[in-house]
Amino acid sequence: MNATTKPIIEFRGVSKTYKTGTHALKDVNIRINPGEFVFVVGASGAGKSTFMKLIVREEKANTGSLIVNGFDLMKIRNRSIPHLRRTMGIVFQDFRLIPTMSVFENVAFAMHVIGADRRKIRKDVSAVLSMVGLGNKARSMPNQLSGGEQQRVGLARALVNKPSLIIADEPTGNVDPNLSYDIVAKLTEINKQGTTVLMVTHDHNLVRDFQHRVIMLEEGRIVADNAAGGGNI
Amino acid sequence: MKLRSVSYLSKEGVKNLWANRLMTVASVGVLMACMVLIGLAVLISMNVNKAVGNLEQQNVIMAYFNDKNSVLYGDASEEFNSSQDASSTTSSSADSTDTTISEDDYLIHNEEEALALCDKLSKIDNVLSVEYVPSEEGLESIKEGLLEGKEEYFEFLDKDHGNPLSDAAKITLKDMSKFKETLQAIKDTEGVDSVQSQSDLADKINALKDGIGIAGVWIIAILLIISLVIVSNTIRVTMYSRKLEISIMKAVGATNSFIRLPFVIEGVTIGIISAATSTAILYFCYRVAMEAIGDALGIINIIAFKEVALLIVGIFLAIGVLSGIVGSVIMISKYLKKEGSEFTAI
Repeated sequence: MNATTKPIIEFRGVSKTYKTGTHALKDVNIRINPGEFVFVVGASGAGKSTFMKLIVREEKANTGSLIVNGFDLMKIRNRSIPHLRRTMGIVFQDFRLIPTMSVFENVAFAMHVIGADRRKIRKDVSAVLSMVGLGNKARSMPNQLSGGEQQRVGLARALVNKPSLIIADEPTGNVDPNLSYDIVAKLTEINKQGTTVLMVTHDHNLVRDFQHRVIMLEEGRIVADNAAGGGNI
Repeated sequence: MKLRSVSYLSKEGVKNLWANRLMTVASVGVLMACMVLIGLAVLISMNVNKAVGNLEQQNVIMAYFNDKNSVLYGDASEEFNSSQDASSTTSSSADSTDTTISEDDYLIHNEEEALALCDKLSKIDNVLSVEYVPSEEGLESIKEGLLEGKEEYFEFLDKDHGNPLSDAAKITLKDMSKFKETLQAIKDTEGVDSVQSQSDLADKINALKDGIGIAGVWIIAILLIISLVIVSNTIRVTMYSRKLEISIMKAVGATNSFIRLPFVIEGVTIGIISAATSTAILYFCYRVAMEAIGDALGIINIIAFKEVALLIVGIFLAIGVLSGIVGSVIMISKYLKKEGSEFTAI
């Protein structure tokens, strides 16, 4: 990827200080190009959550410039924020599945939100469930699934609207170590099809075993940015 | 928002009502109680207003005309209330003065002029009706009414004095609050000699009407606020119980109006269910109360429910739908501004 490629995420001199006085991010400069797979690592309180919250525009930076998927997040209007979020899929650590809805309904929910028609919903949800290996569990309820399977439902929901960017916030945090590999392998497979993946993790083994770009945060600053296969952190 | 989204969200709203059925039943129950009380307040105030209206119609003003008798006997009412001694004196003077009174001393000489005066009176602002009461008819009605069974005591009236009453007009008013002005206008009309009225009763009626009006408005206003609080509270509870869903909606790019709609539908449905059940309950309560009051007091003049059913249903639907919309919009907007803006950590 050369320097002229338009980045999918670009932080320029971004700082974020909360009302409580906590300096969560300090002068962050980073460029993530389309099609990249990036691990974001760092100890608790390093600024990983704030980094993600700024990208999904749950929080607004105090200074600097931040562009995500072509949206200028320093200037974006409130009514455009939902449209920004439709360009990305979010995977949560705690899965966030609605317990009263079946696997199919949980995934379809994301399509209802954007007003998709019923036929398309049926077709796309079935396809994405097959892709994550849950084609035969469409009618199951979340409590009938293992942690790994529940996270795959979460992944299917994030993917169903075909976003250009996947934000995964510690997606393996609540999953058995052996199943964590499955999740990251699935994300890698999705990445290979062209979707940009940004994954926050604490799991150094995963970072070491899957050779992707790694951004390391410490006390709100980027202290390391190793290109894919660029060595251990 | 697309039509299919609206249909999906409407189904979701109704589904949520069933999912939170305990809360739904509680809200419908309290909202229904408020609506029934509002309905009762409306019905009571309408019935009292009707009764007061009847009283108003009975509170007539008698305008005595300036005719021969009025010159002969002075103020007819005063004359009539005075003692028998006075009547005998008047009797002799009547005989003696009869010839001394010329036609120029009074203004109403015949029935034609009396009817013309009635017509003039009917044109006064706030006058509802004017009924011509010739002196003979006036005397008859006094005999039949006030003096019933004691006619023999008053035979002297016919024998010795003839009829001392003047021709008169029986006047009813449209609005008792303008009683004084109207009375003055009647008094000032040329050809009217004197008027007889019950201004005390008019004042009491006005005070009663005002009191009922003010009490009704307060009761309805308080109950409306209670209804709004109830619906808002239900929506708030269901909203917090659906934090997870809202966070997912936000994460996948739902607009605020998309998130809001199922809650609004929920609120409005609670309102409509409450309105329907309240109408039924009010109908039975009113029927029972009407029969009981009718039996006890013999009043048959109570407004029938079917006469006001449309109004009541309209009021209930308006309360239900409005409190549903306003309550849910206020609550969900508040929520989305605060807690709802954070979705990555709930």
